Amino acid sequence: MKLLNRTLKSYLVYSFLLLLVTVPVFYFVVRNVLLHAVDKSLKTQLGEIRNNLKANISTPDLEVWSELDKDIHLEKSDKYFEDYIHTRYLKTHENDKDLDPFRQIEASLKVNGQYYKLTISTSLVENEDLLASIVLVEALLLIALMLGMLWINRNISKKLWSPFYETLSKIQEYEFNKHGAIRLKGTNTTEFTDLNRSLESLLNKNYNTYLAQKEFTENASHEMQTPLAIFQSQLELLMQTAPLSEEQAGLINSMETNNKRLAKLNRSLLLLAKIENEEYQPTELVPIADLVKKFLPSFQYYFQKKNLKVIENYYDNITLQANKTLLEILISNLISNAVRHNIQGGKIWIDIRGANLAIKNTGNSERLETGRIYERFYKQGSEKDGIGLGLAIVQRICNINHFSIQYFHSDGMHEFKINFLPAA
Amino acid sequence: MKILIIEDQQELVKNMVQYLSTESYLCEVALDFDTARRKIESFDYDCILLDVTLPDGNGLTLLKELKENHKTEGVIIISAKDSIPDRIEGLNLGADDYLVKPFHLSELNARISAVIRRRKFGGQQVISLNELSIDLSAKLVFIQDKKIDLTRKEFDLLLFFASNKNKVVSKNSIAEHISGSELDVFDNFDFIYTHIKNLKRKLTQAGGTDNIKSVYGMGYKFEV
Repeated sequence: MKLLNRTLKSYLVYSFLLLLVTVPVFYFVVRNVLLHAVDKSLKTQLGEIRNNLKANISTPDLEVWSELDKDIHLEKSDKYFEDYIHTRYLKTHENDKDLDPFRQIEASLKVNGQYYKLTISTSLVENEDLLASIVLVEALLLIALMLGMLWINRNISKKLWSPFYETLSKIQEYEFNKHGAIRLKGTNTTEFTDLNRSLESLLNKNYNTYLAQKEFTENASHEMQTPLAIFQSQLELLMQTAPLSEEQAGLINSMETNNKRLAKLNRSLLLLAKIENEEYQPTELVPIADLVKKFLPSFQYYFQKKNLKVIENYYDNITLQANKTLLEILISNLISNAVRHNIQGGKIWIDIRGANLAIKNTGNSERLETGRIYERFYKQGSEKDGIGLGLAIVQRICNINHFSIQYFHSDGMHEFKINFLPAA
Repeated sequence: MKILIIEDQQELVKNMVQYLSTESYLCEVALDFDTARRKIESFDYDCILLDVTLPDGNGLTLLKELKENHKTEGVIIISAKDSIPDRIEGLNLGADDYLVKPFHLSELNARISAVIRRRKFGGQQVISLNELSIDLSAKLVFIQDKKIDLTRKEFDLLLFFASNKNKVVSKNSIAEHISGSELDVFDNFDFIYTHIKNLKRKLTQAGGTDNIKSVYGMGYKFEV
């Protein structure tokens, strides 16, 4: 639930409850006040009647009076009783269908030694109408107030929280390698300014760490090349010394092999760092099938050595805006793998269809661990050759170019499929 | 033959000088940009080995100046940068070759001989080693006027040995040399045995002496 709706929800619930409670309460209070007023006027009327009756009045007069005033009713009674007031529902006119509420006061009068029961009635119809109008107006007022408050609240909140949402959207789309150091706008709200400042310093600290790390890998690899070169040349000079024993020759040989491995590892790490540092810009239009075709002859030597049959199928020749060097590395690494992990007299299928490049090879190894093959330095089983960076490089190249890569394994065949234009 | 080595890593320079001095090369050294520029201006060399990243300048600037002054020295760039655009830039500026660090001294030696041969003799040269003669332009090999049929790889291999005659060349350097080094598909070098075996057989069959000696499985030595 969004922040704005969250506060609004509380307001809404409160307003609704308030409406639900206040309207009946209001109704009863106003009704009581009105009844009270009616009762008071009835009592006054009764008092006036009693006062007037102190002068002698004849019974027929009373009857006439009672006849004349419809609101006053007199009838003989045989005993005295206390005054009391009540509400009754009666017909206003003889032929009315509905009953209307009336407020009546009943009192005992003694005229000429005879007890009478006096009933004074007041119609409450007008009061009821008034009450209904008052309650309606009150309800409308409350509803209007409520809606107004919601609206104002919403707008103010929106305005108040707008720096927050701005910051949020900025952070959501922020990527170190694309946007560099981050700048967040200052606001009028202290809390948001503090938040932005804290975020800014946190992110920029991370960004600097990222930069340092990026540079470090590349610099370290660069720095390592010189001692590697010196070591390599010294080994060759050592080889020229005489006399050389078989034991020494064995040691030198092993040193040279390991040095070569180290140099290769270093070169691959440097390449990875350079890819990640985006030193390869997608500057060229590269037709993929042409690139593969151009590349294959350089592998001919290895195909022959392993007696491999290469089956090529070019259905399409998709052209990509990309960095040619990176695409060459991508294809070269995949073909190298297909050769390296192949069996003697095996086969390699190269298939370009639409925006897909598939490279499949026979091999005797088990299915590769799909989740881990692209990890750096991951090697499966007894494989000791290779340095375990080839597929990591392939994956990085795919990532930065937004290609998708998939691995399949069936009937002892390993297949890597690259989609150069995956659907989003 | 005079060679100028422009490289700021003293130890590496020392090793290069030591290896190359056993050939008929006279090596001079420039450890920084300014020294290198002075030497190039004052003397002529047969070949210049040029490091791109010098502490006080870019090696490629020297290369540009060389070409502007119409100097005829062969130039081999020695660089830690191995990307194709870097190579293309160097070669476009007129370098004869491009070697990536770390390199084998035997490979460097072979490239220097190739550059000097091209520059000095226009490739029209026959290398004679005892009864063996290698015709570089025709890519033919003779033993006392008898032609030997060699594959391209075997010819390359023989030339590589000839450039590094009387030196031990390691299996690694041979493998890199004949496979073109770039692809690194195989990590073991079994495949070079076949080439060497065939080469030795063809040489002896043609009546030559087998001068290619194995050195304890570490490498080979072409003794002349």
